Amino acid sequence: MAVVVKDLRLAWRDRAGWASAGAFATIAVLTYSFAFDLATGDVRPLLPGVLWTTFLFAGIFAGGQSFARESEEGTFDALLLSPVSPTMIYVGKALANVLAMLMIEFAQLVLATILFDTNLVSLELLVIVIIGTVGAVSLTTLLSTMSASMRGRAMLLPVMALPLLVPLLIGAVRATGAALSLDAGTAPWTLLLGVFALWSAMLSVLLFPMAVER
Amino acid sequence: MALARPTRVTASTGAIVETRALTKRYGGLDVVRAVSIALPPGSRTALIGANGAGKTTLLALLSTLVAPSEGDATVAGHSLKDRPAALRRAIGVLAHRPMLYEEMTPLENLGFFARLYSVTDAEARIEELLRATGVWQRRHEPVAVLSRGYHQRLALARALLHRPAVLLADEPETGLDPEGVEMLDELALTVPGLTVIAATHRVDRIEAWATGLVRLEHGRAVEDTASIGVGASA
Amino acid sequence: MNLLFGPLRRVYGLWPFVLPPIAGTAVMAMIIGALVVAPREIIEGEVQRLLYIHFPSIMAAYGAFAVVFVASLVVLWKRDMRWDAVARGAATVGVLFTGLTLATGALWGKPVWGVYWTWDARLTATLVLFLIYGAYLLARSMADELDEGAARFAAVFAVIGAFDIPLIMMSVRWWRTLHPQPIVFRGGGEAPAMPPEMVLVLLIAFIGIGSLAAWLTVLRSETEWTAKRTAALRAVIDRREGA
Repeated sequence: MAVVVKDLRLAWRDRAGWASAGAFATIAVLTYSFAFDLATGDVRPLLPGVLWTTFLFAGIFAGGQSFARESEEGTFDALLLSPVSPTMIYVGKALANVLAMLMIEFAQLVLATILFDTNLVSLELLVIVIIGTVGAVSLTTLLSTMSASMRGRAMLLPVMALPLLVPLLIGAVRATGAALSLDAGTAPWTLLLGVFALWSAMLSVLLFPMAVER
Repeated sequence: MALARPTRVTASTGAIVETRALTKRYGGLDVVRAVSIALPPGSRTALIGANGAGKTTLLALLSTLVAPSEGDATVAGHSLKDRPAALRRAIGVLAHRPMLYEEMTPLENLGFFARLYSVTDAEARIEELLRATGVWQRRHEPVAVLSRGYHQRLALARALLHRPAVLLADEPETGLDPEGVEMLDELALTVPGLTVIAATHRVDRIEAWATGLVRLEHGRAVEDTASIGVGASA
Repeated sequence: MNLLFGPLRRVYGLWPFVLPPIAGTAVMAMIIGALVVAPREIIEGEVQRLLYIHFPSIMAAYGAFAVVFVASLVVLWKRDMRWDAVARGAATVGVLFTGLTLATGALWGKPVWGVYWTWDARLTATLVLFLIYGAYLLARSMADELDEGAARFAAVFAVIGAFDIPLIMMSVRWWRTLHPQPIVFRGGGEAPAMPPEMVLVLLIAFIGIGSLAAWLTVLRSETEWTAKRTAALRAVIDRREGA
């Protein structure tokens, strides 16, 4: 079974799509720099928000992309026809997406560290990013897989995903802020993040098989 | 030329593919209506009917891609509703679309599917099928640059990769040149031991390979010379 | 479209005779009551009369969303598309009344608190609720009428959304406690402080808006189901003409 998951991951190495997502994330961070003049003044309070909105949009955009090809070619049907259980199909896809997103996000952390003279490459921050990514990608993978054959999917995906991800966004931004010693209140943000990640992963794994069988 | 050596799994009723009042309904419209057939092992059934008669949907039902609204079916001893994963191992599907990864080569495509289906002698089997379908010479080229005919050949190779007991084919002659059609016959349509259900518009060819036929009209099986114990039914 | 069994089925069949009169009379009574009978609120003035729409509306919306949740679960479990029609109908009503709640809230808020909107926990959560079920309707409207996969996709989304709501409320509340609340939000209805006339009108308002919501839900669901059947018939005709 583990072999299968690994192979699913390989199959979803759609390089073109993820490169676009990476480019998008970079452009987004740079755009924020121009929009908010982040190079001057006290940048730091804005940084968590800038980072996480970028991550979410890139993730939604990329998630939709990576599945578009799969559904166009009809190869998703081929997977469903195979003896591999839908749950494994989902887990493979979600894992692949998480890994790809983590790479993009790490690159953005490095970029932001350089641009904004703030150390963003810390263990605490990385843990927060990992948990947040798992939470976000679980849902966006589920949604993008299910909406694969629908037209207007590109527009629909962000409209559907973002309201669901509000708790994740709030929690991740505040947790990141706390990690950067910004004022974020006393609520256990990382705990909220962890709960959300667990909840969204479990729910997605549960619902995927039901959603996919026609 | 028995290139494909299918595994033998037979249902207790004597039929390897059996449907009982299989129905698929979309929003009140019955696309497949109470179809009951019972095909013996090794039989080769032509599924015919006009466009929209329900052929593709019936094949989709049998392949577990679509869930029935009513009724049930048993393929190679596995029930549609209870044991879909085991059922999928016993069938090979040649669908309307080739369902291939465009960026990967034929070798990589088949390698991937061989792992999905846990094919034991994957390398040897892949070579065997690629040579038989005439794709061997182009095995290192990405599928995207190959023509439709090659896609169809490769899709056939994929369908037979794991030595299924039953082959479900939706218009398998599509895209194939006369040589390709010959290859199709040799590899699939006239192989002893392999049970075949193929939807086809090439009514002229049926005599060459089919042992029986099922005609669908508006979702209903109006003629059936393939099922066990049934002659031509109204 | 009959989803119920036995005696319930007959009861459901009575809806054209029961719901419109009740809704009609109650809403009329509510309007008269709100404008004439209920006393003028001391602190807030005439604007406070919006309470009679505002509070029952959000309750009706919650009820509608509960129906969406249940109907979506059934769609996933039984694959019965009639329940998808119910879910769409209820979602439409829910979004409508949530919008009404937010609008009446804004109109009420401006003269009383000086702002149309404030990012307090309850308002924000209500807004997100509006967005989620608005997205649900968008997803359903963009799909083909007969597309069962799209219906199940939306059902999954609705179920996730429903389970997400507690998390949303929690996170928004924690978020807002970071900032001092400039306004003391009194909320929709504090029964103990209300004179009996107000309570009476509020009660009538609940009946009126509740039955109106129920009526609209039934109407909308039946319409959705008819639309599906029409699409199916059209598909049959297309098929036959093509053959």
